[in-house]
Amino acid sequence: MPKIDLINVNKVYIGKTGIVHALNNINLTIDDGEFLCIVGPSGCGKSTFLNIIAGLTPADEGQVLVDDMPVKGPGTDRVLMFQEPALFPWLNVIQNVAFGLRMAGLLKEESYDRARALLRIVKLEKFENSWIHELSGGMKQRVALARALALDPNVLLMDEPFAALDAQTRDMLHEELELLWLETGKTIIFVTHNVREAVRLGSRVILMTARDGKIKREYKIELPRPRHIEDTELIKIAKIIRDDLKEEVLKISGEVI
Amino acid sequence: METHGVIKKVKEEKKNNLKMKRLKSFLTKIVFFGILILLWHILTSVESWSNFLFPQPKEVFLTLWQGIIDKTFIYAIYSSIKRLIIGYLISIIIGLPLGLCLGRINWLNETIGALSLGLQALPSICWLPLAVLWFGLNEMAIQFVVIMGSVLAITLSVRDGVTSISPIFLKAARVLGANKLKLYTHVLIPASLPSILTGARLGWTFAWRSLMAAELLYVSTGLGSILMVGRELHDMSMVISAMLVIIGIGLFFDRLVFGYFEHFISIRWGTK
Repeated sequence: MPKIDLINVNKVYIGKTGIVHALNNINLTIDDGEFLCIVGPSGCGKSTFLNIIAGLTPADEGQVLVDDMPVKGPGTDRVLMFQEPALFPWLNVIQNVAFGLRMAGLLKEESYDRARALLRIVKLEKFENSWIHELSGGMKQRVALARALALDPNVLLMDEPFAALDAQTRDMLHEELELLWLETGKTIIFVTHNVREAVRLGSRVILMTARDGKIKREYKIELPRPRHIEDTELIKIAKIIRDDLKEEVLKISGEVI
Repeated sequence: METHGVIKKVKEEKKNNLKMKRLKSFLTKIVFFGILILLWHILTSVESWSNFLFPQPKEVFLTLWQGIIDKTFIYAIYSSIKRLIIGYLISIIIGLPLGLCLGRINWLNETIGALSLGLQALPSICWLPLAVLWFGLNEMAIQFVVIMGSVLAITLSVRDGVTSISPIFLKAARVLGANKLKLYTHVLIPASLPSILTGARLGWTFAWRSLMAAELLYVSTGLGSILMVGRELHDMSMVISAMLVIIGIGLFFDRLVFGYFEHFISIRWGTK
């Protein structure tokens, strides 16, 4: 069953360095409960893709449908997570997690109870009263995940959320995210420049072109779960995708020369 | 068990180190100011210095003590601080929301923001002639000068705080369902707390200076007036003791009121 439909979506940025056609006539259907990963060279429009679905930026042309309804702005049925944790320093951990619930009008006690349950899922229940600057990078990103999950969104949009973390922390968060997806059946769209991460997590991987904002290729990933980033099958598939990606990266560097 | 002993030991050492550091810095200050007063005493003891130009420290402290006992200083402090607090509170009530709006609404910033920036180039005491004409020789005129001194500093600091908020906070809040009003109350205001503190502090300093200038020029009650009375009576120990009181009040508010606010921010933002 389709959850999100992109129909002829176009987005163009005009900046000092020139015109970037970030999304070029994109047509894509994302099924309910799918774990979709998007990879591509940096600056290829991956983040734009998420911002448009999140409703933070409008498309210049075309339509984005979520549950057959056009996206008109941000909605709590689709929560976006950023590369930076973007936690609020004036709130402590539990207040950050409860932020969305408080915005939705829930009472303090009720929202804290739910926030506490989520902190247990990301294994940070001991830190509910800590301030944000007291946490490590991985802990911050886990709080951000709990904050995004607090509103129980059907769609989770993730914009390179683990890019700034060390390998061990990233492995652990991959496991947690995979488990969460298996248990809840949420639709997840995960943007990354790390091909192996995409294969590790996604049930489908989309490779975007370097300059012209198109989808270059799609890969169905039918490996059994739970997966591990060192699995030989996984590495093989990642290699195929990486070779295709290399072509795109070379295209950019070729332009420079 | 052995490790526990080690932890305890290191903890204690750290605590003692901190204590020693504080004591040291306190003693350094005492010694420094002691030497300063001693130097002052020696200088003024030399015959060639006229006592009425530069009084001895003990005379200054005596005058200060007397002023407190016969309550002239107490009344002066009372009336100055009352003016200051009223003027400052009005400046905060105007400056805070105005700064927030300037930071968010472009056309307002291009008009009122430009005007505020222009007016800030004018030392607020320059308003006194106009203020006396408009309001007469009364409290209102002084109050006006104080407000003109601090409201612009507060407005502009808050505006700069709001415009420099990382856009990612606003994005995150919108994604999490904050509507327009809640974006102000739950994100914009708390996110700009550090610059609100800067603005409030700056505004306080400007208000205090404007008030002293106004009291000097327009004799009524207050600490500024004591300075002028001292000058007219050629009583320099009165002038210097009033100066000491003015310094003391400035320090008191800066440390206690704003110090608390600063602590509040530093534990959240992890600054310091």
